[in-house]
Parts: sequence; structure tokens; C-alpha cells
Amino acid sequence: MKFELQKGSRSRILAAMMFAIMALFVARLFYLQVIRHDYYVGVANAEQIKRLTIPSKRGLIYALDGSNPVPLVMNQTVYTVFADPQNVTDNQKVVDVVRQIAGGSTRSNIEALLTMKNSRYQILATKVTRSQADKIKSENLRGIGFQEESMRVYPEGGLAAQVLGFVDYEGIGRYGIEGKLNDRLVGEDGLLQSVTDVSDVPLTIGNNNINKPAVDGDSVVLTIDRNIQSRVEQALADGLQRTGADKASAIVVDPQTGRIMAMANLPSYTPAEFNKVQDAALFNNGVVSAPYEPGSDVKTLTMATGIDKGVVTPTSTYVNTDSIQVDDATISNASLGYLGTLTFQQALNWSLNTGFVTIAQRLGDGNNITREARDTMYDYFYNRFKLGQITGVEVDGEMAGTVIPPTEIEGNAVRYSNMAFGQGLDATMVQVSAAFSAIVNGGKYYKPTVLAGVLDKSGSLVENEIAAPSIAIEKSTADQVRTMTHDVRQTLLASQIDRQGYYMGGKTGTSQVVINGSYANDEAVGTYLGYGGSEDLSRYVIMIQISAAHRVMRGAQEAGPIFTDISNWMIDYLKIQPKG
Amino acid sequence: MSYQRTQNFVSRRQQNWSRNQNTVAFVSAIKLGPVTHTVLIALMITILGLIYLTQATRATGYDYATQKIDSQIAELNIQKSDLEVENARLTALETVKNSSVAAAMTAPVSTDYAQ
Repeated sequence: MKFELQKGSRSRILAAMMFAIMALFVARLFYLQVIRHDYYVGVANAEQIKRLTIPSKRGLIYALDGSNPVPLVMNQTVYTVFADPQNVTDNQKVVDVVRQIAGGSTRSNIEALLTMKNSRYQILATKVTRSQADKIKSENLRGIGFQEESMRVYPEGGLAAQVLGFVDYEGIGRYGIEGKLNDRLVGEDGLLQSVTDVSDVPLTIGNNNINKPAVDGDSVVLTIDRNIQSRVEQALADGLQRTGADKASAIVVDPQTGRIMAMANLPSYTPAEFNKVQDAALFNNGVVSAPYEPGSDVKTLTMATGIDKGVVTPTSTYVNTDSIQVDDATISNASLGYLGTLTFQQALNWSLNTGFVTIAQRLGDGNNITREARDTMYDYFYNRFKLGQITGVEVDGEMAGTVIPPTEIEGNAVRYSNMAFGQGLDATMVQVSAAFSAIVNGGKYYKPTVLAGVLDKSGSLVENEIAAPSIAIEKSTADQVRTMTHDVRQTLLASQIDRQGYYMGGKTGTSQVVINGSYANDEAVGTYLGYGGSEDLSRYVIMIQISAAHRVMRGAQEAGPIFTDISNWMIDYLKIQPKG
Repeated sequence: MSYQRTQNFVSRRQQNWSRNQNTVAFVSAIKLGPVTHTVLIALMITILGLIYLTQATRATGYDYATQKIDSQIAELNIQKSDLEVENARLTALETVKNSSVAAAMTAPVSTDYAQ
């Protein structure tokens, strides 16, 4: 068959028109598919390809129970129950079902919320558990939906609250471990980019699919032992009740490793209800974030400095006149009447300020706290015992405190005479207990830590290596001061109250509080810093601090009994065998 | 149907190699016209399209199955987490302290250490 398109024929005109139309189509298609290719591919991808975030799971926080990790902070999936009031057909049934099943999680004005027909989203209940959500779903209520979210839960309630911190509504860790280790705990969200169907089900078709799995946060294991922590919190609560004090803090350290076994402050809060806390100061962990003048506890460090430098021994003597002159300042003892020639052991027993100012003088020329003496004290206090500097303990909000160096004008002889008995410097309890641990363990300073390790995917504890200690003082020095503090405790406190067959020692501290730039006479912080274990090996260092507004809290009377309470319990818990 | 001898050149080497073998080949005399070619190509394209569709549908089917399994895994993980939380609550110190077992415990009269 052969078509002849004659010039001017209708067929030829039709063919020309068809050709023109086809040319138009081709031109248009060329424009759309070639010139505007990228644009339309983008539009199509935006419609078809979904980018879904795969949320990472926040790491859990464990404590130890002996040597076994036990969870302190976990994640739980909870649901927010919401309604689309326009689609709800039976308001009363919804109210009855949600109230009956969700109970206290239900909003109080649920009836009013359901009558807001101009709204498409009203929250009826929050933090509903999965089983509760399943029960509500089984009622097939029209217009009701569920939104899944993850929530931090605390099986042990408020235990170690200020060590743990909390996670705020934006999912950011605040205070404590949650704040300090937020980056490690939070993990990394994954990404799923894929063509999806109308139900958002990802399909494997397409060339630009991305499937990057989420990396869950580390689950960390603390060195905190939940049993010790619980006992310490109970002992502090008992101490507050017994003394009527306002605040109390405690830290328990393993002096052989620097691992913190308990760290507590009262009053405290419940992390699950952090939103109900009225006073934000409750979030602070005073053990690491509240530098104070440690008072007479520091006399153990001054004694160690003097012995280590060879200027005194426990049996060396000085003449006590209950006061001593340093430049234009007269420094007096808090305990008066122990006059005459005394040994430094006696000075430590009775906590005589003059004895320790004398040590500071002997570090110089014997009569004055010279620059050399101040340099020596600064070297020991700051560089070796690491007072006045961040320890690096893994809890948010750690403060450094202050040890003024002799290079500054304020680092004069009067300042250093005060520092010799614990005034004129600021340190935190974690610093003081870590420094004292160096005396107790034979002279090695271990960096204090609350982090035992992480749990691997199989749930096994991968322990952190203990950081190599620095040598603070000679072993012989440490042993002498340890014996001296044992004698202090035996002399003053312990012969009747310590468990027999064990080896404990300690030092009281009663620190005047600086208010408006001067020492207040009606307020003092009581501390007790001690250790316990066998004669060969100290197993724990405990430091207690107790205070009350406008009241003098004394180390021996108020803080000491709390130490004894915990110490005697620790003997049993750690299964320490008595001597003889 | 008839066949004819090929006129192809065969090298001497190959001739020697193939000696005494029946190396005669035949070429079909049937000629396929343009319409047949078009139909065959259309059929081939159709078959290829069907194969593609089958495979794509099968892959999409796997996607739905995968999605279903993923949902089940997620649901089971939630159940596992819930049980872990419940277990932690049941073994928490406060729970243990307040348990009937703890209430029934008595302090020993005396203790000693085995040497």
C-alpha cells in the first residue's frame, strides 16, 4: 500500500498538522525531561522518598551490687494518648476508658478537652505504659491515637540522685553523670532514606536509598555500690534527724584504687520528678561542686608534708602557748589549755592550730613561714595532694576550689599559716578524700572516679583500667600519718564505738563559715575524715560533712557518729576479717 | 524446506583439523520480513517488561514482609525492655527491704569467721 500525499491535499495538510503537533510534543517533552530534568526529579523524590530518623537508644546507667552491675537508670517506652475531638463519637466512653485504664496519668480536664471540636489534637494522658495502651487500644475507641516515646525510669527511686542527674524534656542530660557523659550516653541517630508507599512503608526500589543504622549510646557502669550508697544515704538521714542539721554529705572511696563507692547529699530529690523540684540547688552534687574550707582535716596533710620533708616526726615536740604570732596575726587554738611541751601526735590528737603553724614555720627557717616554706606547702597541697584543682571525676558541675599560690600577694605567710590548719583555702570533699586516700594507701594519689566501665553488647562489664597513681608522699611518711590518725581516733572517740579487731583512723574538722567576708561565730561545718579496714590494708575512706544555718556543727559530735555508723556497717559488707 | 552448502572460506589449518568430520553447515533459507521482526521485538520487550515487573513486585513483596518482621522485632524489643524494667523494680533495694521475706528475717545471735 502506498500513500501519495499530493501537494495541497487534505491528507498532506493533516500530516503537516500532525507533524507540527508531534513536534510540539517532542519539544515540550524535551523541555520537561531534559532541560528541567533535575527539577522534576527533585519534585518526584520529595514526593516519593522519605527520610526517616532512626532514633538511637540512650545508654543505661548501672551501679554495682558487689561486682555485678544493676540498673539505676533505664529506658521505658511509654505512650501519649491523644484524641481528635472531631472524630470522637462517644465522649463519655472515652473518658471512662482512659480514666479507668490510665488512672493518674490522665489529664484532669479530659471532658473539656474532648468538647473542643475545633481542635484536631488534644492530649488525654501521658506516660501511659504499653500494657495500659494495649488495653485502651482493645476498646477500639474512635478518634483516639497513640504516640510512642522513650522515658528514663529509675528502678531504685531517688538513690544516688545527685550522682545520676536527669534528662530534660529535650533529651539532654543535666547534672551528674547524665550531664557529664551526655555525649557518650546519647549515641547517634541513624537515617533511613527510601522510596515509600502511601503507608510510609520503605521500599527497596530506587537508587538513592540510605540505611544507616542508629548507634546506641554507651551503657555505663558506675563504681557506686548500690548497697553502700543506700546505707550511706540512710546514715545521713539518721544523722540529720539526730542532730537537727539542714544538710549532710558523704563520700566513700576505695583508697587502693580511687574508685568512689558512694557519694550522697541530703536533702535530695527524685530524678523521675525533677520537674517538681522548687530549689535548683538540690540538683547540685555538693561533694564535687561545693568547695569549702576543710578545716582541721587538712592537718593530716600538713603533718604529712612536715614528715615527708623531714622537719618533724610524730614524736617531735614544740611548746604550746595556745597562740602563735605570724606577722601581724595572732593565731589561737580552738581547744585551749593543753599548755607546755607537746608532741605533734598530741597536737594532732587535740587538733591544736599552733602545732601546725609550727610545722609551717619549720618548713621555712624555723621561726617564719618563709617563701621556701610556702613553696613547699603549695607543692604538697596543690601539686601532690591536688587540692584546689579539678579532679576530673565524671560528675557534672565539679568546682576547682582555691589554693592561692605564694607567687600572689595574698599567698603570704598569714595565709599559709591558716592553710596549715585548713583555713584560707577552698577544696571540695572529693579532693580532700582523694588526698587523704593517698595517706591511707601508702602515698599514692589515685584520680577519683565513678566510672567502672561499660557494658558490651553481650551485657558483660568491660572495666576501665585504673589510672596509674602519682606519688604524693613517701610510703614511710604515709604509714606514720596513718598510724597517727589511728591514734587520734583511739584517743578521742573510738575505743568504745569501733568494731573490735579492725583498724580505723580519722580526723575531725570543724570549719567556720565565711559569711559576708568574715568568719561567722554562730555557724560551722562539721566534718569527719576517716578510714577503716585491717591493719595491713585500709579498705575504705569515708568523709562526712554536716551543716545547719546559724548552728555550729562539730566534727566529733555531729559528723563522727555518722562515720562510725557507716564504718561499722562496711566491715560486715566488705567481709573484712578481724585481727586475732 | 531446503538447505544449500555454505560458501564460507575455511582455512587449510581448519580443514586439516576437521578432516574426516562432517563439517557441512546449512543456512536457513527462510527470510523474516519487517512485520515479523517488529512483532518479535515487541514480544521480547513485553517479556522483558513482564520479567521486570515480576521481579519488582516480588522485591516489593519482600519489603512488606521485612517491614512486618521489623515491626514484630520492635514490638518484642519493647516488651523485653518492659520486662527488664519490671525485673529491676522487683529486685530494687526498696522492694526487697519491704518484701515479706525480708520482714520474716531475723538477726543472728552471733557470728564468727571461719579461719
